[in-house]
Amino acid sequence: MQPCSESIREAAKRLLLEKRVDAVIGFRKGTVPFMNEPFLARTPEQAGQLVWDGNCAINLANYLPKRTGSVAIAAKGCDSRSIVIHLLENQIRREQLYVLGIPCQGMTDKRRIADRLNGRQVLQAEETGGKVRVSGRDFEQSFERADLLQENCAICTHKNPVLYDELLGQPVEEQQIDRYVEIGKIESMPPEQRRLYFDELVQPCIRCYACRNACPACYCPTCFVDESKPQWLGKTTDPTDTRTFHFLRAFHVAGRCTDCGSCERACPVGIKVRLFTMKLEKQVKELYGYEAGVTQDERPPLDAFRPDDPEPFLG
Amino acid sequence: MSDWEPKIIAFLCNWCSYGAADLAGVSRLQYPPNIRIIRVPCSGRINPKFILAAFRHGVDGVWVSGCHPGDCHYIEGNLYARRKFALLKSQLEYTGIVEPGRLHFSWISSAEGTIFAEMARRVVGSVVAAGPAQHFIKKQAEVA
Amino acid sequence: MPDIYYTAKENFAGVIERLMGRYRVYAPVKEDRCHGFAPLRSAAEADLGFSNTRLSPKGLFHPQAERMFEYSLAKDDPQAGIVKEAQKDFSPRVVLGVRPCDAKAFDLDDANFNTETIKDPWWVRRRETTTMIGLACDSPCSTCFCTSMGSGPYDTAGLDVLLVDAGEGYAAEVLSEKGKNTLEVTSGWSPVTSAILPLTHKKKAAEQSIGIAFDPAAIAKKPMLELYNSPTWEEVQFACINCGACTFVCPTCWCFDIQDEVCGDKGERLRLWDSCMFPLFTLHGSGHNPRSQKTQRVRQRFMHKLKYYQDKYNSGPACVGCGRCVQACPVNIDIRQVGRQMVSQGCSCPA
Repeated sequence: MQPCSESIREAAKRLLLEKRVDAVIGFRKGTVPFMNEPFLARTPEQAGQLVWDGNCAINLANYLPKRTGSVAIAAKGCDSRSIVIHLLENQIRREQLYVLGIPCQGMTDKRRIADRLNGRQVLQAEETGGKVRVSGRDFEQSFERADLLQENCAICTHKNPVLYDELLGQPVEEQQIDRYVEIGKIESMPPEQRRLYFDELVQPCIRCYACRNACPACYCPTCFVDESKPQWLGKTTDPTDTRTFHFLRAFHVAGRCTDCGSCERACPVGIKVRLFTMKLEKQVKELYGYEAGVTQDERPPLDAFRPDDPEPFLG
Repeated sequence: MSDWEPKIIAFLCNWCSYGAADLAGVSRLQYPPNIRIIRVPCSGRINPKFILAAFRHGVDGVWVSGCHPGDCHYIEGNLYARRKFALLKSQLEYTGIVEPGRLHFSWISSAEGTIFAEMARRVVGSVVAAGPAQHFIKKQAEVA
Repeated sequence: MPDIYYTAKENFAGVIERLMGRYRVYAPVKEDRCHGFAPLRSAAEADLGFSNTRLSPKGLFHPQAERMFEYSLAKDDPQAGIVKEAQKDFSPRVVLGVRPCDAKAFDLDDANFNTETIKDPWWVRRRETTTMIGLACDSPCSTCFCTSMGSGPYDTAGLDVLLVDAGEGYAAEVLSEKGKNTLEVTSGWSPVTSAILPLTHKKKAAEQSIGIAFDPAAIAKKPMLELYNSPTWEEVQFACINCGACTFVCPTCWCFDIQDEVCGDKGERLRLWDSCMFPLFTLHGSGHNPRSQKTQRVRQRFMHKLKYYQDKYNSGPACVGCGRCVQACPVNIDIRQVGRQMVSQGCSCPA
């Protein structure tokens, strides 16, 4: 049995009727194809609006920091790891949470579909049994769901939640895959080419901070962008400032990023910001054997040390 | 071009590496004058923002030095710093912000004046080989 | 009798070239997965087969970041110590292919930048020296709702010329002196004397293909405090992540921040886009923040666009229904839905 809207609604209604939680964080159906809206259900009636499908990609853990009262939250693999990070960093207490774990088969990427449709606009989209059927003004087409997965979902190795109070659906099989193929390609470029590659990558950035705001790990009351004594970077779209922003943001989530892909998904101009965060994820894994949010027993890597930590930076 | 002298910012921890710099000076050890020292209480104080800020200002190289791990005046400052430095250096070079040879780290204790001078020579030589920094310098904002 | 001209599509590249000979021409050019307005380097770059640009063309009049003033303290600078206005290029421009919704948006923006008493000198000069040649929409997007907002796919507000795709060629309706002068410069146009009925058909078809979002007039009629105190804002605000995506893509969002930057012996004052969605937007020097809560900021955005602007200027909402915010919002907060909720606020009929 796979998680679906019905199972989420049932669980949410039950939890609200039992007064087990004050509210349930999930998604309700979006107003445009391939989008759903994060939704807070406070009553069993509102719980009836909850949905679960391949468009529930935004990391709901983003809505947890500083939350008061008890809340149930729908969490797929990556989301649950972000919840663990929040617990480790005291952004929410475990007693406040009722985690509805959702084994995830991956989320669809509307940009991938748009690429295949060559500018034709999707008016309706339907997802059934491994296929995605889209229709527009004068066309109808069907795709394999597996071909439309968000990039982070395609290489996901933690589809099952690591933390849950209730699991909505059967666990899915995890895959063994090299997550760093794209990163490897960039690593093998000469330094000058790499510099130009990243310059070009962030050139469209409009400094809207959607990436930062969609990220559950970014919850600083005052972001470094807004610090003024001293001011570390300008706020315009100057290329050096933009590079500084993306560099530091990725660095600040080093070892805490669970590759939920919300940053890339949120970006209105489609920048592949994960090319920054994935490299750090790779380094953290290779140097410290750490994967963000997999266990509550280990501090995030930059908050810890071991006497035998490698020192590749010397010399 | 031939009269270009590299500008290198050295973040030195107060207890060890700054002491080493002091000792090198008192001992009249010769090393190139291109290092400009910023004293910090501990290498653990180093924030990636400092290093970015230095490069944005147009320095040609950055050198960070602290106590040997295990000898930190604050016990663990440099042990946390180690992880920061490892990730920082690899990420700066991966994104092409910092060319190889511009960013250096070392552990130098306050008795190691000669090692300080030697490292200084090495750092300056490495930055000279990399040439004047040209990219990632914040000048006037490139705006309309 | 409207002033209408016609040119065959095969002549159009020549028209653009002649425009480029006299003006700086901005037109939609293909970018990675979308289009954006950019200065043309060749006529071939212009792609009028687009739906709409991802970012609105407001950046052509109100740039994302622009230099206001600058000074230098360099010892060898004869003007050292003097704060100078930054040099800007106000040479004549043409914006070719702007959609009617965006053109109308700039008229709405004039309420902010070009008033009786306060005029933004750069906005005003740019508007004066720019000819807006619009392109009517024949295939509106599903997220478009211009017809509900007082605009339309063939609307002429804010335009100097309106081009209509007439199959084999373009029909150009001249709407102003400036438009007439610009067309005369380009030549290649012949006046149309025969009936333009086919175009009226297209206009109707385009208008009818756009769904009705909500009626802003109904919002204008409601008491402001009733909307302001509505409990529905709690629901609307939940998903919002307070990024600036909606405000940055919106053609009627005009808020800006002013930043001073110093670099060595030079300093400058910059104006850049700001967003009411950022928590820092209303932070006072004292530390007090009247819109410190997300609910307040989300409410502010929709109330400003759909209610306050209507109350203040009596000329419809500060929204042209371009739908960019609907497409850009990472969490699918849909202004059409919010508008409907505002319209039905206070209604006792079942949802």
